[in-house]
Parts: sequence; structure tokens; C-alpha cells
Amino acid sequence: MISFDDYIEKFDKLVQKYIPPKKDWTPPDQAVYGPKDPFRVPIKEGKELQFNAIKYQFKNHYENNNMYNSFCKQMNITPSDIKTYDDIEKIPLIPGEFYKDYPHGRDFAMWLANIFTGHIPQVKISGKNPNFDDIINSFNASGFVVAYSSGTSGRHTFIPRDSRTFNISEYAIAKNSITMAYPVYDYSMKGYLLMPNPFKTNVFAGKVCTIFFNAVSEVKSAIDREINTELIKLSMTGSGSFKAKMIQKVIAKMNKKIVNDIIKWLEKNEKEKNKIVFAGAPFILYAVTKKLIEQGKSFDFSDRAAILTGGGWKIEENHRMPLEDFRKRMQEVLGINTEYCLDLYGMVEGNGWMVQCQEGHYLHIPYTYYHPMILDENSKPLEYGKWGRFAFLDGSTFSYPGFIISGDKSRMLEHCPVCDRPGPVLEPEVTRISGKEMRGCAEELRRMISMDTGDD
Amino acid sequence: MTSIREIKEKGYIPQKMTTKLFIAGAFSLSKTLLLNMGDLKKLRKSLPNSERYIRPKREYEIPKFSKDMKINNSNEKYLRPTLYCDHREPKVVALAHKLGAYKKSDREFAEGAFELVKEQMTLEICPLNSVSETLDRGTGTCFHLITAFIALCRAAGIKARYKVFAMNVIKAWYDSVVVADPLVKKWYDSMGYFMLEGEGEAFIDGKWVVAHVGPKAERQAAAGIPITKFGEDSIGRWFFAIPGTIMIMESIPYGFSGTTKLLKIIAPGSMERVNISILKQIEKGRDIINKAGGADSYDRMVRMEEGAKKPDIKIESKSQIVFED
Repeated sequence: MISFDDYIEKFDKLVQKYIPPKKDWTPPDQAVYGPKDPFRVPIKEGKELQFNAIKYQFKNHYENNNMYNSFCKQMNITPSDIKTYDDIEKIPLIPGEFYKDYPHGRDFAMWLANIFTGHIPQVKISGKNPNFDDIINSFNASGFVVAYSSGTSGRHTFIPRDSRTFNISEYAIAKNSITMAYPVYDYSMKGYLLMPNPFKTNVFAGKVCTIFFNAVSEVKSAIDREINTELIKLSMTGSGSFKAKMIQKVIAKMNKKIVNDIIKWLEKNEKEKNKIVFAGAPFILYAVTKKLIEQGKSFDFSDRAAILTGGGWKIEENHRMPLEDFRKRMQEVLGINTEYCLDLYGMVEGNGWMVQCQEGHYLHIPYTYYHPMILDENSKPLEYGKWGRFAFLDGSTFSYPGFIISGDKSRMLEHCPVCDRPGPVLEPEVTRISGKEMRGCAEELRRMISMDTGDD
Repeated sequence: MTSIREIKEKGYIPQKMTTKLFIAGAFSLSKTLLLNMGDLKKLRKSLPNSERYIRPKREYEIPKFSKDMKINNSNEKYLRPTLYCDHREPKVVALAHKLGAYKKSDREFAEGAFELVKEQMTLEICPLNSVSETLDRGTGTCFHLITAFIALCRAAGIKARYKVFAMNVIKAWYDSVVVADPLVKKWYDSMGYFMLEGEGEAFIDGKWVVAHVGPKAERQAAAGIPITKFGEDSIGRWFFAIPGTIMIMESIPYGFSGTTKLLKIIAPGSMERVNISILKQIEKGRDIINKAGGADSYDRMVRMEEGAKKPDIKIESKSQIVFED
């Protein structure tokens, strides 16, 4: 079996373009790219890396972001107040809703520029009334990577990353997943992305998977068409226009094709004895296995396959599937070992990709650059073991303050109750705080493409 | 008769976005009704034995108009009479004087008008009418109430206008106003948002200050949200404006009352059920406030629970962002 060090070195070579030259590393780069196994760094060392990264970013945003500077002044906190590790929880947190509250048209472009930290290059925007897509594409053509949540409610979360911050997000999602999937991953794997094609969308859940195309030899995308804010609006808001109806028809046709295409792909790879990996929304795989069960078919990919899911567990309109049942189903129908069926938790607002361990399926937190917190109703951090609102200080975001209060409810434990990794974990299933209408990206995607598997 | 010039100047012709929202709303309502004819037949009228809506008693007195009361006769934008909002009507003038028109500072007056409309008038779904009728009745839709606030401000010589938008609501609001009637729920769900909602704005000390007069303290308590004050926006608290739909208007435009008029003709039972639900929410909220030890302590408690504050953002122009027409 390949050693872990060789395993990660091989991966690092494949994704070299996402890693800045070592001579240019700042504390945040050191915290992200430095550790070989981000989940096995000794706690003391991990806290030191985390503190240096967060302190660096706090100073960066305080000095280079007017919006955040005023916010900190209102809260009466300056970088000089952050002296020791225990001080970092004084850093002002921004409610995630802030990034959903944006103006329209030209003002949207100015809003993006105003929430950005640091030097803004020239951005040329054409047209008298540019829409969200026009503006985002113009920003992205100038070196930004503005991405957004799909936003079922009609409100997206827009986050202005620069390429450096986006590279970190991509590297972290891949490295954290591959680390946990050790030793099943290798470059020869054939991948199936159960998300929009990253080259045809600015939806974060799809876009952040660009690195998947570098990490494995061949990738197919389940949703291989352009997905933009206009299409999301037309497909999800129930607009009765002719255009919306046409789009909904095209999408309905695409849904059926996705399931059939994946089954054909599985058959081909089984025949060729290839290693495979699925990454993305679990409801699509649920639909595939549902059809396979109906057809009386099954596969045996046992030691040569992995599934990395993310974005929520609503499988059908009125059906939320327990993760354990999902893993069991994947083993029964596709023959994929349950330890290689891992769920990820992350969000557009941050780069902290939490991945389940094979042993206990608890969500492990990449604590070398990311400080997790569970808050009570007064936004005060709770001790380990209590349920509350998930919040974090992300020391890896250069282009916007990644100090965020999420709308998710979770419970954090100091250590995994099952495996021996030293860092903190979240309970395997994260849910929304009641009253928050937004859902995970997989649920948003499911609603967007109306893939109620019962309709097949 | 209203001249074409006046129609144009005061914005009686709906803006492009309003028209778009009207069309979407009318289409969606027609579709909901056509696809739910069975429900419509059952629900259009309240059953004889079912609970009936009893309009609450007006909570304030309107003094008699006297000729020595100062009337704002300005024809300046935002100070002149507009559709459904004639601040020169005697009842408006009399009430404005009772509130301290031309005696108090603009801010003090606007705060008083805000308190009266928000806390002493009650939300009731009904077709639009003149502002005097609304003040007489003491109830109305959010647009009746906004109009009452705007008329009182204009009567006191303070510029005031409408801010209108399409929006989503928080769950508690959805449960009390939308879920209360199956047809209204289907209509909302088919659109995914409320067609039109609004706020007032008064020009105080060189700035437009927002006034959301729609929900009484009790309704806010029933929804578990703070009791908002003059200057606090509903957007981002319990409403979420659909991007691109926020419009500033001097007047309510023609056709604005169409939907409520249509709903009253087609499904008066639906309107009644929503109105009953609103009164129940007020009852529920009153209990919550009492248990919390009064409105102020309820408000303090909820604001503390609301937790983290969002940063304020002043959008400054950046020379690096270049628009090419």
C-alpha cells in the first residue's frame, strides 16, 4: 500500500498550479499548504498555525476593507487586541445574511467592490443595465473569482474571492477529501461530478470542483450546460413566462438523461475494471440506485471506488435520508465500501472544508487555518457538546473577511469519539437553524433541476 | 380631472417593474384560481357557521377640522396630494395638528405619526380607498397604512414617499398571513414571493428615513422579531426584497388596487380568513408581550437574542469599476 506521504506528494504534484511558490507563503498559506495531513497536526502546533493565519487576516481586513474596518470600530476591536490564541474569539463576526443583502444593476458592481479586501484591478462592464451574470463575468475576467450559492429563495450569497483565495478553497476541498479517503484515491480514477460543470457556471458548489479535473484522469459532469443566475431564477421561482417554461422543459429532459448516462458510465467502468469516484449531490446517486434497483441491476466497485457527497440530505421532496442508510444503499447497489462513502460540509462563505472520517463518519475540522465555534442565542461561544449556531474564523480568505456566523445548527465535540485524530469534529448531520429558508447546495440543485426521483 | 401632465409627473403610470410584477401577479392568481376551481368553490365564501371577522374598534380619536388649521398647499414633489393620498382632506389635517404639525420638529412629528399608524391602526386586507376613509376605519393593508403615514407627514409640510418592492417573508410571517388561507398560500407558493410590499419614507434633516408601519408591536411579538422603530427597515429583518424590485414612488400608481379588488370579488372568504388570522396573531403577540413584562422588555430581550449585528455598508464609487455603455 502507498505510504500517506507519497500519496499526498503525488496529489500535490498534480495540483501544483493551485499552490503558490513556498518563498511567497504568508501565515495563511503555511497553515493551508504546510501540513501533510491537516487532520493529524498536533493540537498545539495546529493552534499556532491557526492563530497566526487568523491574526494575519484580521489585520489584513481591518486595514484594507472599509466596510469591515467601520464594523470593527463600532465593536471597539482592533488588531492590537488580538495578542493570544484566547483573544481570537473577540474578532467581530459577520452574519452570513450580510452577503445576501445586495443591490441590483450597476450598484451591485459597486457593492462587490466595496466588500472586497485589498487592491481592485480595473473591471470593465458593458451594457446600460448589466445583470448579475454580466457583472460577475466582468469581475471574473479581471482576475476575481466571484461565486455564489444557488439561492432557492431568489437571493444568492455572493462572495468576492480573488484567485489566491479561490485556489485555497479548491486545494482545501480536494486535499481534505483525499486525506480522509486514503488510500483509495489515485490519479487513474474516473470521476463523475454530480454538480454543474465548473467551467460553465459561477455557482460555487460547481466552480470549486475545478480541481477535480486536475486530480483525476477523466471527469464527466452530470450537469453539463451553462448555469447562471438568470437560469436559476427562471427554473426555480415559478415564473410563468414562455422562456421559463421552455427552460423547465429542457431541464426535465436533462434529468432523465443524467440517470441513464450515469448507469451507462458505471457499466463501462465496471467492464474496464476502472477505479471511480463520485463527487457532489447525493440525491443524484439516490436516483441512480433507485433506477438500478427497479431494473434489478447492481455493481461491485468495492475497493476501487469512493463517493464524496455534500450539500444536504433531502433526497426527494418529502424525504431526508439518514446518511447511514445512504452508505448502506451505495454498498448494496454499487458495491462501494461504506468507509469510502464520505460526506463533506462547507459553504460558499468560507474555505473550511470539513470531511467525515472513515472510522466514525464525524465531520473533521481543518483546524490549522479555521477556528470553528458554536454560538448560543446571544452569539456567545458555547462549550463543546452543546447545540447551537455554527460560526467560524477562516484564516485563509485574503479577499473578504471570512469571519462568519452561519445559518446552520450543529454540535461540536473536542475530539472524534471514534477515530484518533486530535482535532475537533462536528456531528455528522448539520441542519438549518429553524426559520432560515435557505437550504444546502444539493437541495438547491435538486429543486432547480426538479429531480424528484419518484417521478421517473 | 387629472391632467396628463399630472399623471406623468406624479408617476400614476406604473413603472416598468411594477407592470412586470402586476402581470406576474395577475397571471399567477388566474392560474391558481383556474387550477383550483374546486377549492375556490369551497373557500370563496366563509361557511355560515365559521368564525367571522369583526373589525377592531378604532384606537384613536380624530379631532374636528377647523379653518384656522394650517394646510400644506405646496405643489412640490413629495409634498403634494397624490392618488389615494390627499393630505388636504380635513380629517388628515385635523389629525396632523393633533400630532403637533408645525409645532414639533420634523423628526418628532414623523415619529409621532409613525407611532400612531403602526401601533394604533390594524392590518386588514381590503381594497384601497381615500386616506380619510382609512383613518376613519383605523385599519387597512400595508399600503393603506403607509398612505396614512405619508399623508400625515405631507400635512405637516414634511416630504414623504413610497418605497415599494417584491419580497420573501420570514417563516413566522408566512405562517400567519399566507398559510391562513389555502388559496393565498397556493398563490404565494406559485410565485415564490409576495408581489408588492412597501414602506414609507420621510425626508428628515436632509435624509430619507424609512418607516415601516405595517406591523403592530403585537404582530411583531407573535413573529418573535423586535418591535421596530421609525428609521428601522423591514428589509433584512422580516422581509427580503427580491433584488431589482425596489422602487421609489411619489404616488401609488393606477391599477394598484386591482388585485385586492379582484380577490374581494372572487374570494372574499380568503380575505376574511387572512384578516381573522391577523387578529389572532395580535392576540398571541399581546400574551407574549405581557409575559415578557411589557413591550420594552420584550423588545430588549429579542434584540439581545437576535445577536450579531450586520455591518453597515456605505457603497462608495470606485474608479476601477468602469461602465461601458
